Amino acid sequence: MIYLHDGLFDGFLTCIYQHYYGHKATGIFEKASYTPCLFDEVLVIETDTEKARKVYNSIVEKLSEEVYWSVFYTFLANDVNKDCYLLNYIVLAFKMGPSISLLHSHDVVYPVKRLSKKVMSERHRFLGILRFSDIGNCLYAELEPENDILMILSDHFVDRYMNERFIIHDIKREKAIISNLGEWLITDFKLKEKVIFGEKELFFQGLWKRYFESIGIESRSNAKLQQQFVPLKYRKHVVEFHTD
Amino acid sequence: MLDTSIMEKLRVLTESAKYDVSCASSGTQTKNKGGLGNATAAGICHTWAADGRCVSLLKTLLTNDCIFDCAYCANRSSNDIKRVSFTAEEIATIVVEFYRRNYIEGLFLSSAIEVNPNATTEKIIQTLKLLRNRERFYGYIHVKAIPGADPELIRQAGELADRMSVNIELPTEESLRILAPQKNVQKLLLPMAQIKKGIDEVNEDRGKYKFAAKFVPAGQSTQMIVGATRDSDRSILFAAENLYKNFSLKRVYYSAYVPVNAGANLPAIQTAPPLLREHRLYQADWLLRYYKFEAKELLTEQEMNFDLDFDPKMNWAFRNLDRFPIEINTADYGLLLRIPGVGVQSARRIMHQRKISPIKYEDLKKLGIVMKRAKYFIVCGGKFFGERNLEVEGLKRIMNPKPMYEQLSLFNLTKEVPYPLGGRNLLPKPVEVGSPTDGQAKLGLGRVIF
Repeated sequence: MIYLHDGLFDGFLTCIYQHYYGHKATGIFEKASYTPCLFDEVLVIETDTEKARKVYNSIVEKLSEEVYWSVFYTFLANDVNKDCYLLNYIVLAFKMGPSISLLHSHDVVYPVKRLSKKVMSERHRFLGILRFSDIGNCLYAELEPENDILMILSDHFVDRYMNERFIIHDIKREKAIISNLGEWLITDFKLKEKVIFGEKELFFQGLWKRYFESIGIESRSNAKLQQQFVPLKYRKHVVEFHTD
Repeated sequence: MLDTSIMEKLRVLTESAKYDVSCASSGTQTKNKGGLGNATAAGICHTWAADGRCVSLLKTLLTNDCIFDCAYCANRSSNDIKRVSFTAEEIATIVVEFYRRNYIEGLFLSSAIEVNPNATTEKIIQTLKLLRNRERFYGYIHVKAIPGADPELIRQAGELADRMSVNIELPTEESLRILAPQKNVQKLLLPMAQIKKGIDEVNEDRGKYKFAAKFVPAGQSTQMIVGATRDSDRSILFAAENLYKNFSLKRVYYSAYVPVNAGANLPAIQTAPPLLREHRLYQADWLLRYYKFEAKELLTEQEMNFDLDFDPKMNWAFRNLDRFPIEINTADYGLLLRIPGVGVQSARRIMHQRKISPIKYEDLKKLGIVMKRAKYFIVCGGKFFGERNLEVEGLKRIMNPKPMYEQLSLFNLTKEVPYPLGGRNLLPKPVEVGSPTDGQAKLGLGRVIF
């Protein structure tokens, strides 16, 4: 039986609940990204926060926080099969107990470790290269991450800018973190018109670019190394790489 | 404030500051207590400059107007360059505005010595106070401790900053005398010792009181220049090891010398910075800090400098082939770390996974081990997977194949075809120990000072 969910983490956890208390699942997918297969028996699972909460609790209590975070990070990965990997992983984890964290190269564990590491490192990258601009009444940042990392960026930036109003906008997934003096939420979000920068904003962008040019040492110039750290695909939203 | 003079100042003072390599924002975890900013233990890089170096902090000088005349420094008093200064207010504004836009993790403030060390330190403190008290800035701040400043002033700076550093620049007393005659070792070490003492005291208090004062919570660091003098890698690495041991430094940075000045005691101005040599020193530094190596294992009286063709760990392995191969399934953690191709992470994974089941050869790659290097040095489940028996010359040939072909000339057929070994010189030969360029004084291999 293939279970489909609505794309929310609670939806996924409900599928796990269903796997233990209903039919065994052979695979779990997000409804939107699933391509039907002739012989698959498919069931769309209605998200049930109560059931999700139960699964969450037993992961944290019977396994560990560490296992929970691997699961959550992997869930955010941009990979069609992520939920199937997670199903296998969770089933094995409940058999083995918390010691599953000691495994790394195991066939069931490795895909989860690989994906969660990928998500974690993309999050870390964006902690650095996310660029805000002051658009008058708030700070605004755009990003197009490979994985759905908005959720795990929030704690960092909400704490950092607790006296600011800001928006972090994932333009690919059309949603955003909106934070107002420490209170925040994630919501669907789309810009009606292009953002226009004021004089002060342009001045500081210019100042930053000037700094960026000055800090490099010419006789050590190494574009290849620079590209390793800031791949071209990320440069679109990073102001110092814009050429006017 | 928003005018072009600020742009020009920032350009000049950044270009003066950029040879200081430290840019870390790591080593301390600070929560935002109702103002702007926080700090994460791992540090965050915000961008990478055209030279591939990470930019984490706004690295700038308060002023480049210096009373000192250190031969290697771009800001020495005898240089005819534009002299400018920031006000504390200007720096505070730039830091806050950059920080709000997530350009930077904080500030790295250094300064030339304008009037005297005390006046300079006072101005640094004034800037930090503006940031910490008025702007309620909780981001990362790294400041230079100015040697010769009053201990009380250094204490004040230390209470406001996350990290402090004093640059040693040269590893031997002799080089220091020749290139920086106005500095002396004792004066350099004094603030370092004071900062260490301050950190130790606070750590002791932390054991006793919940709200002990903070003092340089991210520790102190220093920097040594590589290639400005004839000092060997061995002098540099031994100096670094001593600094780690005696002053519990968090980091020693190495900076391939970029000739910015002409001078009788310096490498010629067009000399390329010895980047590969710098890289080897960093690798060795990692071996000291995370791999439990000692400097004397890495470089000996016979081998004063690192082989540019192989990394220091590989070289150590070549010299100690009798200790290999090592069984992955039984070796202890310390021994695993000695295997070329095995890092701290993969060694930990091996230790963890071994608790559950023996490790198979197919697992090794997934555990993050670089098999290209490791396979000649390990046995897994009693089996050896390298292609041939261990023997240094053969190994070197496999690991670092040099192109076998060479343009042959009709006229020098008698010339010996070089042995295809090593020799992958990515860079022009650095100003080498033992081969001083014209005009370079014969700086001896001086006594290591620390």
